[in-house]
Amino acid sequence: MTLATAKRPAGAAATPTAAAPQRRWRRHRPRTFYSFAAPWLIGFALLTLFPLAYAFWLSFTNYDGLAPKWGYVGVQNYERALADPKTWSSLARTLVFVFLLVPATVGFGLFLAVLVNQRLPGRGAFRAIFFLPVVVPVVAAGFVFRMLFDRDTGATAAVLGWFGLGPVEWLADDKALIVMLLMILWRVGSSMVISLAALQGVPQELLDAAAVDGAGSWRTFFRVTVPIMSPVLFFQVVNGAIDTLQIYLPALLLSAAGQARLDTVPGEGLYIYMVHVYTQAFAKGDLGYASALLWLLTAITLIYTALVFRFSRRFVYYEAGPSDEEGRR
Amino acid sequence: MTGTVRMLLRRGGLYMLLVALAALFLLPLLWLLLIALKGPGELLRFPPKVLPDRARWENFGEALTYVDFLGYARNSVILAVTYGLLVTFSSALVGFALARLPAPGKRVVFGILISTLMIPPIITLIPTYLIYSRLGLLNTYWPWVLSGLAGSSFLAFLFRQFFAGLPKELEDAAIVDGCGYFRVFWQIFLPVSKPVLATSFVLSFVWTWGDWVMPALLLNDDRSTLAVAVGSLYASDHTGPQYHLIAAAAVMYSMPVLVLFIALQRLFIRGIATTGLR
Repeated sequence: MTLATAKRPAGAAATPTAAAPQRRWRRHRPRTFYSFAAPWLIGFALLTLFPLAYAFWLSFTNYDGLAPKWGYVGVQNYERALADPKTWSSLARTLVFVFLLVPATVGFGLFLAVLVNQRLPGRGAFRAIFFLPVVVPVVAAGFVFRMLFDRDTGATAAVLGWFGLGPVEWLADDKALIVMLLMILWRVGSSMVISLAALQGVPQELLDAAAVDGAGSWRTFFRVTVPIMSPVLFFQVVNGAIDTLQIYLPALLLSAAGQARLDTVPGEGLYIYMVHVYTQAFAKGDLGYASALLWLLTAITLIYTALVFRFSRRFVYYEAGPSDEEGRR
Repeated sequence: MTGTVRMLLRRGGLYMLLVALAALFLLPLLWLLLIALKGPGELLRFPPKVLPDRARWENFGEALTYVDFLGYARNSVILAVTYGLLVTFSSALVGFALARLPAPGKRVVFGILISTLMIPPIITLIPTYLIYSRLGLLNTYWPWVLSGLAGSSFLAFLFRQFFAGLPKELEDAAIVDGCGYFRVFWQIFLPVSKPVLATSFVLSFVWTWGDWVMPALLLNDDRSTLAVAVGSLYASDHTGPQYHLIAAAAVMYSMPVLVLFIALQRLFIRGIATTGLR
């Protein structure tokens, strides 16, 4: 319908009055909306919803991708997941990582945003430099952090050597988590950019008013600027936590630089939840069990998101756009 | 007078901090370049030396031929351009609908879109792989075409925010003239959206260029992308990973997106600031 209308040249409206096409339009709008949204809606149904449902079904089976005979096994996979000590240890490691990484990223991002928001010549160059790592492909980033923290030949070994300190086995045990933290923190530029946009949105009158009232710059920052930015910071924390729960590739790349495979199993220090899932799926071929593990994480994410939405109705999301009513006209 | 001195001190301190941080941020890239210029023997030496004995530029030539670098680069370009164009178009369509076309259920659609921002594709990876495998689409580029056509919630949100900010007068005249909405979209909205279209294309290009998991999962090594080549293929059973060649390949692989970023900084930064994307 929309396409048919579109073929008609503008101004050549066959309708007798000017009001008629407007009415026609209004009548066809719901259909127009859905035809515009169709590619995304169909894509969502087929490439997100259906795979999620399919994984849900698989999580109740013993499918391994090879054996011709497989079928329903009830909640066996879920029981196994809950009884598997590796599920709990990897989940705990992931949560520790979330609690370390998310505040570090948001805090450091805000710090950098404040720095590059100062009126200084050359601040554009600093913004670009701090953002640059975000663009570096993750494969290259993983490789270089692996090399920086190599026990014997890394840059850190060189620096430790200058101080007469011996080599440190960075990537073997829990210290690997620090390396992964630094690798991801290196990409703090996106957080900086988001905070910078929010920082520039703080009304100057408020800052002036605070100055007139005799508030120092620190006090103004923590009592005026940060509260005004809080929706954006909050949004970053919420999203950052969800993103961090799903981290997988950095662990893989750090443990097998240059020969990463989907069936590579990283060592204990990098054995985070997603690694646990994909180890079951690709190294052990246990797709049913892996699907159950995935669904546990999805459930955690969904519950967390629902809680966050419930407790944050007055925050962000629609702030930048018009209200729905306005859009409806 | 003291005020000026204080200001200068403050400014000097700020500069020192910024320069130190900038050096820290650039250090990994510098280290990558240094590895790329060393010989294989130098990389095993302990204690490590920072600078190479001599700059071995020939490593870059060797990295081009150790695997079919240019062939993988071509595959990466094909996938990134295809996906970038399709996803930009689809996302602009749905963004336009959300910004301009009222309909019952629109709130729900928008709600779903916002919540899919929270479901990263990694969670649907295993079933997606099985579905493409059942459809016989493994080792083809169809998955990129299909997910491109399906659009991206991030980019749809980006377009929605941009379109919603445009004045209503823009389409009113055309509507009175009896112009169809697709035409309004195509001939009025898209031409004024060139910066956002460019942002969307560049961001999706960079994602596809950098993605390792999907090509590793869906493509065989010989049809795969540069990401897989750099991440996995510079190694042999005899010698293990060829670190100096990986570094040289990684430099060449990162260069196009870094240049793209330096040339088009504003597009990247606006896209990320609007969507809150990492």
